[in-house]
Amino acid sequence: MNRFTFDSSRWKLLCNFIVIVISLYGIATQKFTMKKTTIFEQALIELLAPIQKGTMSVKDSIAQTFSRYIFIVNTREENEKLKSELEEMQNKIFTLNEVQKENERLKQLLEFGKDIERKKVLAQVVSWDSSNEFKVLRINKGENHGLKLLSPVITQTGLVGYVYRVSPNYADILTILDQNNRVDAIVTRTRTHGILEGHSDFICQFKYVSRTEKLEIGDTIITAGLGEIYPKGIKVGAISQIDKENFGITQKIEVTPSVDFDKLEEVVVLLDHEGRVNYKNEVMSLSVEEAQ
Amino acid sequence: MNKYSIKDIALGLIKTSLLLVFMELISSVIFPAIGFQEFKPAFNVLIVLFLAFKLETPGLAFLILIFQYIHSIFSIEGWAAGTLTGILISLSVKYVREMLNFSTAISTIVVVQIFQLGWYFLISFIISLKMGDFSGFIGIFANYLPESLFLSAISHHFFMLMDRIWKVNKKPMGAFI
Repeated sequence: MNRFTFDSSRWKLLCNFIVIVISLYGIATQKFTMKKTTIFEQALIELLAPIQKGTMSVKDSIAQTFSRYIFIVNTREENEKLKSELEEMQNKIFTLNEVQKENERLKQLLEFGKDIERKKVLAQVVSWDSSNEFKVLRINKGENHGLKLLSPVITQTGLVGYVYRVSPNYADILTILDQNNRVDAIVTRTRTHGILEGHSDFICQFKYVSRTEKLEIGDTIITAGLGEIYPKGIKVGAISQIDKENFGITQKIEVTPSVDFDKLEEVVVLLDHEGRVNYKNEVMSLSVEEAQ
Repeated sequence: MNKYSIKDIALGLIKTSLLLVFMELISSVIFPAIGFQEFKPAFNVLIVLFLAFKLETPGLAFLILIFQYIHSIFSIEGWAAGTLTGILISLSVKYVREMLNFSTAISTIVVVQIFQLGWYFLISFIISLKMGDFSGFIGIFANYLPESLFLSAISHHFFMLMDRIWKVNKKPMGAFI
């Protein structure tokens, strides 16, 4: 076996120095808005993401088994044969219900996206970022399915975010809840322009809005189409709080996203970044509703 | 002083990496799946703190780099800020090593909590510096606190597990290179 016995303090100093220099370089070049993955990172993501996906499936199976168990406890007066049949039927119903719900969700997603003149890829959420500070989720589609960096991600209820990091079969989505994700947005009723940023938990802030703008709680916010990431007209959320300080030239506005990130299971990734979006009808109807 | 062969280091590295992957799965899948979207303990911090406390080795910086790199696969936090923080924490441990005591659960919890606060202070500072916006510094720092209490609470048992993986005695490990 190899055993080294020379002075370790110098080695430690050297190692610390080298790694600190590497770290400082890493910090200097790191971007929280977009990341191109190396081949090594891609390989690790491809290796580990299926485990995340598998873990999610195991959790679903456990939940299913637990539901079944609860049902069995409630029907214990029935005989074993009926129990067994019932269990089987319940299991099938449960599965069918889940499939039906999934189908409905996917149908809604597809219906929602039919006005968008872009290629679309349906994807399932596999996991969330392991750090609490960053609001990132991982989906089960990647470069092999046509996803690229900065591809916008939506659901039938609104904007989710954009592709931050992509590997052949998986992608990380920087959600609008993350403070590094800034969305050019407008208020449908007043056409007021501002920048939406992630703030805390499930709340965003609508920034750089002049104090003179007369906004109201409940006003709907949509993407402005600037910035070349998000198409125009995608619903982002609704104003939930407005604070006008006695000083300053802007007002503090909190926005509750229209997407329920807590229950997010499937998303749609929009491809063809150069494509156009036809949201005119939806925006118009939103404007009319707001006006009424 | 204990001396460790390359084989010992490689084994410890592989086992700890697998443990980290398992812990990251808990944080990135299990906790969000059961409704704890905002509760994601940073197990990588616990592992790096263990190494800093108990592994007195020249190669510590590279070990920290490797574990932070694994963490970066599960988080866009990346490896760089955590690596720098880990090394700074390990350097600070050097000066207080004689005062550290891990013989009881309480002492381990207190020591780990104190160093976690230092960790989160540093990493919040680096993230704020990187973003060029210190207005959210307190918020970022505060976000880490609930998880830090959880990590401190499990630290004694976690360190016992890590002691077995790295074959550490009650005393800190000696240089292995």
